[in-house]
Amino acid sequence: MSVGHVARGFEEAGIPTVSVFVRAFRHVAEVMKLPRTVITQHPMGRPLGGPGDPQRQRTVIEAALGLFDSATAGGTVVEIGDTWRPGAVNP
Amino acid sequence: MTDIEQPDTEAETLEEFKNSFYYGARSDLNFKFLKSLSPDDAGEFFRQLLGEIGRSLDHGGVESIHQLIFDWQVRGYEGSGRSHEYDTAPFVAPAKPVSESKVGVLTSSGHFAAWDDPNPFGVENMTQAEAEARIGDFMRDTPALSVIPIDIDPGDLRVRHAGYDVRSVSRDPEVAFPLQTLIALEAEGVIGELSSPMYSFTGATSQGRLRRQALPGWIDRLKVDGIDVLLLVPV
Repeated sequence: MSVGHVARGFEEAGIPTVSVFVRAFRHVAEVMKLPRTVITQHPMGRPLGGPGDPQRQRTVIEAALGLFDSATAGGTVVEIGDTWRPGAVNP
Repeated sequence: MTDIEQPDTEAETLEEFKNSFYYGARSDLNFKFLKSLSPDDAGEFFRQLLGEIGRSLDHGGVESIHQLIFDWQVRGYEGSGRSHEYDTAPFVAPAKPVSESKVGVLTSSGHFAAWDDPNPFGVENMTQAEAEARIGDFMRDTPALSVIPIDIDPGDLRVRHAGYDVRSVSRDPEVAFPLQTLIALEAEGVIGELSSPMYSFTGATSQGRLRRQALPGWIDRLKVDGIDVLLLVPV
């Protein structure tokens, strides 16, 4: 919920926002009516991609940034379909 | 004559067992969603998990195990956060394309610079384990905003958070704090400029204090930075 309040506060103050949520919290973005949201199919705590997976991390960030140019109304939610994959960084 | 084994009245119930993963004796923040499941559903989760692990012994793959955990996380959290419901979505159109915009970043991942530890509750060098043990205190507190310059030495970037398993972001900050990703996108002209500093806070916090005490000052601060748009990354 925290980032939901932050997103709404900044948008209401005139600064456009986009948020990246993991799928488990899609409903939070929806009930809080956030301006722009990208949803990833990642486990909690790994919103942008696995450790050592710069390709996935970039894909997610580009999708989020793209919403600044494409979204035309608040409440826009785009779900990235790519399923979770572990990164290349070993424990 | 054989003694009949009597029920152990001290035996742990399934309810107690599943809840112990939520800041309890078996605390594991990847699986704290178990507390939100009914005992029957938690039992079904473990049945399916063991089934997938058994099958993986032969096929060697772990994707189905990961998918199972993901699916049950979604199920476990589906009731969370619904009390913060709004009727309308705020929206302002960016003044220019993102390729010409100054992009600010704020995450709730709990990152901070080594020289700027927020020292929660006055505790210096708080460990991750200590933070998790004080989740109740964090949930009642006002969040502190950490200021992280984009030219920070990667070795000086720290993370601590009472609400999620930080092992993944500890291996690679880009999992939730996209500094290098955005530096590359700036160099390629995908964004106009990456604003410095970036910001982070511990998202496990008092929602009321966040909205009423912290957020107004955060908005003023980032306006001074001159950002055009703001990228937010919750965990």
